[in-house]
Amino acid sequence: MSGPDLLVLHALRCVGTAGLTRLAATTGLTEPNVESELIDLAVAGLTTRDADFGVWSLTGAGRAADVKRITDELESAAARPAVTAAYDGFLVLNPELLDLCTAWQLRPADGVVIANDHRDPSYDARVLDRFADFHRRAAVVCAELSAALSRFGRYHVRLTEALDRTRAGKLEELADSTSSYHAIWAELHEDLLATLGIPR
Amino acid sequence: MRWIRRLSAEVDETAEVLGGKAHGLVVLHRLGLPVPEAFVVTTEACRAFLRDGRLPHGLDEELATATGGFDVVSVRSGAPVSMPGMMNTVLNLELTSADDALSAVEAVFSSWNTPRARTYRELNDIPHELGTAAVVQRMVFGDRDEHSGTGVAFSRDPNTGANVPFGDVLFGHQGEAVVSGRSRTLPLPELADREPAVWAGLLDALSRVEAHYRDACYVEFTYESGELWLLQVRPGRFSGAAAVRVATDLADEGVLDRREALLRVSPHHLRHVRTPRIAPGEDVLARGLGACPGVATGRVATTADTAVRMAVEGPVVLVRPETSPHDMRGLAAATGILTARGGPASHAAVVARAMGKPAVVGVSGLALDEGTLITIDGTSGEVVLGSPRIVTTTADAHLHRLLGWADDVSGDRSPRADADRLSAAHAVLRG
Repeated sequence: MSGPDLLVLHALRCVGTAGLTRLAATTGLTEPNVESELIDLAVAGLTTRDADFGVWSLTGAGRAADVKRITDELESAAARPAVTAAYDGFLVLNPELLDLCTAWQLRPADGVVIANDHRDPSYDARVLDRFADFHRRAAVVCAELSAALSRFGRYHVRLTEALDRTRAGKLEELADSTSSYHAIWAELHEDLLATLGIPR
Repeated sequence: MRWIRRLSAEVDETAEVLGGKAHGLVVLHRLGLPVPEAFVVTTEACRAFLRDGRLPHGLDEELATATGGFDVVSVRSGAPVSMPGMMNTVLNLELTSADDALSAVEAVFSSWNTPRARTYRELNDIPHELGTAAVVQRMVFGDRDEHSGTGVAFSRDPNTGANVPFGDVLFGHQGEAVVSGRSRTLPLPELADREPAVWAGLLDALSRVEAHYRDACYVEFTYESGELWLLQVRPGRFSGAAAVRVATDLADEGVLDRREALLRVSPHHLRHVRTPRIAPGEDVLARGLGACPGVATGRVATTADTAVRMAVEGPVVLVRPETSPHDMRGLAAATGILTARGGPASHAAVVARAMGKPAVVGVSGLALDEGTLITIDGTSGEVVLGSPRIVTTTADAHLHRLLGWADDVSGDRSPRADADRLSAAHAVLRG
């Protein structure tokens, strides 16, 4: 079980520079708890705050510390084979997710690709229906990951919430906002690369 | 044979049976153009496979007969409706036994039903029961010798619609290197100096396929030891200003009448017809795929951090191999996005559209120094040094004339939006 300090440290490694709201969503901790962890990590020289933008990022030492701790966590849980297998499953799903996000933004009309203005409920329903089908298959990969390392459990929760928000009418929560399904999926991609030590 | 057709000018079945790719190869045969020897396993065989979970009885013997005399082949999917990149292709398959071809055909048929392919069909109104054909074709080698190469060609410029051949050529390589974007290609006209006979053959082929389809066309070609071979043909499917110009020009050339020309252009094409573009004739430094339309001029920033820093001083274009969550701040600060890898459905493309920022993706082999002033065109995928001239339409005169014809048809000359003028004409023409 990763401690809150590692969750915050690793979240910064996966999302890059970020503010408290984003880090709270990623880690599942409250904003005050995130901030408290960030301050402790800053005292240890692992994080730094950009006062102009009010955002946090890792220092070089923080990145090195996360590399070591995440690798140690993976190896001590003997989770590398399971995470590697789940990553293979992720790579099969990834192009389809990007197709679906693209279909949410752009749509075919008379053989031309046009911006989806979301005025055709039947088209949007069709994309959402395929998204729901995709999500069921993504859930399998997420379950494999959280069985291997419990910190991965947040992704399924967050992805489900983003899909629910979209269904409730927040159309930007599928492909467009920083809390969208697409953004969370991209974080998961980054997390898998970081966890397995695969360079981009 | 029940499941297989050897491709020649005599085959008279439809794309429903043969698939679009094989159907195009038959057209090339009929036009007397050079096509490497090929046969197709029909969509009917695929439907039987999908229904029964195994290849149909008798296909193995037919394949054994059909592959006699072939040594190295490609096995490509070819559905009745285009599904680019969704299904399997097997290249450089050495036929050492009859089972090799059988398992390649099975792999192509199976790829019809991957979840990604199913999703694509759902979203594009393509029935799941169509199935795909599998084209088995003798390989020709663009990497055979110094007089070999490969490329793709449009009969007209797909960015502007201008009546000049357009495309990419790669000397001494196989075809997949061009289509995948893995290698740096050269502009098609380089072929004219280096292989004049191949160039002349290609121009002749483009003119014949255009006359057949009565539209701008796209071909894939390879030449092997100085001999030209055509591997695929389809209509060009131009959009925006290019579609307007081609339709208008074809009417002027007498290929289409004005009514047909009007029906060739969808009102949807006109939505982006006035999107800013880099003016034609500028020196193009590199070309990728346009992922979000519009033009952006700015200084190159190669990391998200420098993009944020430099954006305080003036507009920046974020240039990355590909993008990840780490680039979000940089993307937000940038006026445009350029990536080396990825296609129109990549992380960078999705984010660029979400932010409404011009984006060009898939520009490989380009090294740009930080701070260099560049301009990107998210419609055409062009990258130009400095700040070139920008135009709001590349087909002003053509658009004006086409809409004039539209008003002649509808009889309505009141001032309206372009798309409305065209829609009114379509309503009359479709009665």
